[in-house]
Amino acid sequence: MISWLQSHGYWPFHVAWSEWTSTLLDGLLKTIEYAALGFVAAALLGLVLALMRTSRIALVRLPATVYTELFKNIPLLVIISVTYYGIVQFGIKLGVFEAGALSLAIFYAAYLSEIFRSALVGVHGAQREAAQALGLNRWSTFAHVVFPQALRLALPGTNTMLVDLLKSTSLLTVIAAGELMAVGNSVASQTFEQMEVFLVIGAIYFALCYPLSQGLLWLERRVRAGSPLSPARSRRLRAARELLETA
Amino acid sequence: MTGGQTPVVTIEGLVKSFDGRTVIDNVDLTVAPGRIVSVIGQSGGGKSTLLRCVNLLEKPDRGRIVIAGEEVFAGGRVVCDDLARLRQSVGMVFQRFHLFPHLTAVENVMVAQRKAAGVPEKQALETAVRLLKRVHLAHRGLAFPDQMSGGEQQRVAIARALALQPKVLLFDEPTSALDPESTREVLRVMRELADDGMTMVIVTHEVPFARRISDRVVFLDGGRIIEQGTPAEVLDHPTHARTREFLTSFDEITDQETHS
Repeated sequence: MISWLQSHGYWPFHVAWSEWTSTLLDGLLKTIEYAALGFVAAALLGLVLALMRTSRIALVRLPATVYTELFKNIPLLVIISVTYYGIVQFGIKLGVFEAGALSLAIFYAAYLSEIFRSALVGVHGAQREAAQALGLNRWSTFAHVVFPQALRLALPGTNTMLVDLLKSTSLLTVIAAGELMAVGNSVASQTFEQMEVFLVIGAIYFALCYPLSQGLLWLERRVRAGSPLSPARSRRLRAARELLETA
Repeated sequence: MTGGQTPVVTIEGLVKSFDGRTVIDNVDLTVAPGRIVSVIGQSGGGKSTLLRCVNLLEKPDRGRIVIAGEEVFAGGRVVCDDLARLRQSVGMVFQRFHLFPHLTAVENVMVAQRKAAGVPEKQALETAVRLLKRVHLAHRGLAFPDQMSGGEQQRVAIARALALQPKVLLFDEPTSALDPESTREVLRVMRELADDGMTMVIVTHEVPFARRISDRVVFLDGGRIIEQGTPAEVLDHPTHARTREFLTSFDEITDQETHS
């Protein structure tokens, strides 16, 4: 079939993609690694920043506010260049992977902290009070009352940021990070088929991001419906159902 | 005080002000075990604040609070070393229920048992189901708060407050946010609790209900206790002009409602 299309001039591809498969897969894997590590680190840092920003103590709030405003207003590309090339002048040399993941974390933590902060503030103060009145300590109040409700509020924005971060890994190509876009550049420069190469690269990004964002939408719906996400809660609700039915 | 039993709640010389405005002005109150005290009075008269001081959701400025023989507040500061444990022995029911919206009814009743008192899962579930039965809501155990009526939510909130076997239940205008039918459901449950000997302090606008259920009625106005006594004394034969005025305005509203 393929050979027939090729011999009759109907085959649209000029690049011998089969020769590039393993290179592309390497790039794809790198992209996923950058996105996963960058996102987890950004989410953790973002949560810390958000908690700092909701603190009653001004001295705790201030550094978090400065951080957020600073990195929200600097392009990611500049942050990448500084962490990889810039700080070398001060004798700090980060590996490509470290610099790349760190840049993503630094940048997206600023955005995520905004989302998390508004989610934390969005949980009604009376909820904390009700938890306290039940004798829950500060940690339990946060872990079992505030956090789950804030999570619901934060999920839509967080999910958008995750997909955005995944796409932004393509900027790491400027430090030759070996991710998908960098692989694309390398293939394009060797085959001179820019249009075809970048269309294929674009299609791969789409194939990665679309299922991810759909999956996250599904997760949002489940969380909003209060469906159990952990096996422990599933078991608890099952046991409750049995006991309530016999009650 | 009855029969020399230790009072469940003792409040002496309680003072609380917000931004220089005195909301609670030198209030003394004692609640003996099994007794039901209703606190009536105008909105903004300090009723809710008084209640919130009992479990120290609000920190008083001055005075002394003793819960079940244990001094928890004295000399202007909290002297209770374990605030969480204090609150477990004082159940609270809020005007707007404040159930946890991400949890089902049964989980709402379980969460404090598990996370505050460390009750094992199975036992906490059994207690929760038993309490939901007690407030006539076993059939709604797996519903989320936003799927329930106000009356159902408030009854779950009562079950939640009962889950840690508190020594006293505080009700902060438990029916003010409810329609008449829901109000009836909630008052029924409260009456059943009273029959079971639960100690309760009820801030309420339901004067007829307060008359039926209370051992003692306290009229609070401008942060002071104007008078207190049996329902017959305070509600039928008030000695203070201010109490009479307040109760008359209630009668007028009731009259208007019956005539309209």
